[in-house]
Amino acid sequence: MIYGLQEFSLLIKDIFVHLGSVRDNWSETVQEMYLIGTKSFFLILLGGLFTGVILAIETGHQLETFGATAWIAKTVSLGMVRELGPVIAGLLLAARTGAKNTSELGAMQLSEQIDALKAFGASPIEKLVIPRTIAAVTMFLPLTLIADIVGIVGGMLVSYQTFHSDIPVFWNTAIISLKMKDLFVGFLKPFFFGFFIATISCYFGLTTKGGTTGLGKNTINAVVYSSALVLVIDFIFTKVVWELL
Amino acid sequence: MIELKNISITLSENTILDNVSLTIEKGLNTIVLGPSGAGKSSILKIILGLWVPDSGEVLFEGRNVCKMTNDEILQLRKKVGMVFQGNALFDSLTVAENILYFLPDKKKLSENELRRKIDELLSFVNLSGTENLYPEELSGGMKKRVAIARALAFNPEVILFDEPTTGLDPINTESVLELIKKLKQNGTTSVIVTHILDDAIEVGDNFIVINEGKIVETGSLDKIVTSQNPFVQEFFKRFAKGNHNQFVRISKEVL
Repeated sequence: MIYGLQEFSLLIKDIFVHLGSVRDNWSETVQEMYLIGTKSFFLILLGGLFTGVILAIETGHQLETFGATAWIAKTVSLGMVRELGPVIAGLLLAARTGAKNTSELGAMQLSEQIDALKAFGASPIEKLVIPRTIAAVTMFLPLTLIADIVGIVGGMLVSYQTFHSDIPVFWNTAIISLKMKDLFVGFLKPFFFGFFIATISCYFGLTTKGGTTGLGKNTINAVVYSSALVLVIDFIFTKVVWELL
Repeated sequence: MIELKNISITLSENTILDNVSLTIEKGLNTIVLGPSGAGKSSILKIILGLWVPDSGEVLFEGRNVCKMTNDEILQLRKKVGMVFQGNALFDSLTVAENILYFLPDKKKLSENELRRKIDELLSFVNLSGTENLYPEELSGGMKKRVAIARALAFNPEVILFDEPTTGLDPINTESVLELIKKLKQNGTTSVIVTHILDDAIEVGDNFIVINEGKIVETGSLDKIVTSQNPFVQEFFKRFAKGNHNQFVRISKEVL
């Protein structure tokens, strides 16, 4: 465990040391951005939409007993932007991007492609890890934004259909409820989620050994550790960063 | 040209190489022969600086690889090509892209120059016209030849072959061995790791027999064949059982 943390820390150090190499590997970075962005789009759309819908239904039923259904808009809006949007997007992307990175890099490790990169004078950090990390860090924000918006729209539709809310009123309340601090915290989280999901999954990919069994084990570990870290980072933001701001 | 002095390496409490010393001479085909798991491939990884030994020195043209900086190792690797046992071709790239992937200064070359380079390399390995195919569309022998073409893209002084003919049919084996011979005629130094005695004898000049991480015999073919070392005798005896005619021919040639 300690050895693993040490190796992971060295990987992060190497990423920062060689960050400038992204200029030489721009095509790989764009390719990864495309894979994360477009291929995860519908997953995020569905995840965000149903999270907003469920949040509106659950809070709506509780608020209805107090005759306060007007508060659904505020609850959905703040809930999606500050917490659920980033966390749901983070968890879905931890599973999708994390599994993709670990299985790809792990298979490359097992088939000696990583050794081939090194043998021919290329750096796996520069060619494989940095493009994936940059792509995750940049693409997680727009995807989270999409999850937030469709979540609020989903909540609005439920509110209109089930609780007979007025759509313009719901939308105005949802937007007005959001303060700069909410947006800042909600949009800062994806950068951290993206960075750690990418680096953890790449780390497990590069350290794969033991054939297909080892690859399966490392892919599971990557998804589990990434998902757990998404929740831990979210807690840190909610408890510590929010109070500091 | 390349010298390993008292190299020892242990991984996960397993001794991979134990006080190994050997010399690879320029322009010759050096064969590292031994059974699976003997530590043969480790020698190649240590020469390339992919693995750092626990003790000992690796001298490339008199310079210690173990003490080189990262930049120096990168420069060294441009002088040494490697053909991996599983070929290690990139699945998502075409044959041409695989060959050009590591080519230094490729951005400075024009489209025509790159095309000419690919044609030249593919023609050398008898694979002209396959530049747009993906590795999954190639046979095992073709993949091996693409891996050789990729290793040649740098014009390396030394090529390391890790089990170049394992898993290939006799026709593809023959074509890979012909390529290794052709490289020698062009002055390239080759280090060939194999457990197939037949192939080793066909292309080898110098032989290094290794077992359980230790070198048990070195020298020319006649020295190996007449070795009194029990392991080498056993190795040849087992080979002779399956290849009686070949063994008789070799023995007659040597003795």
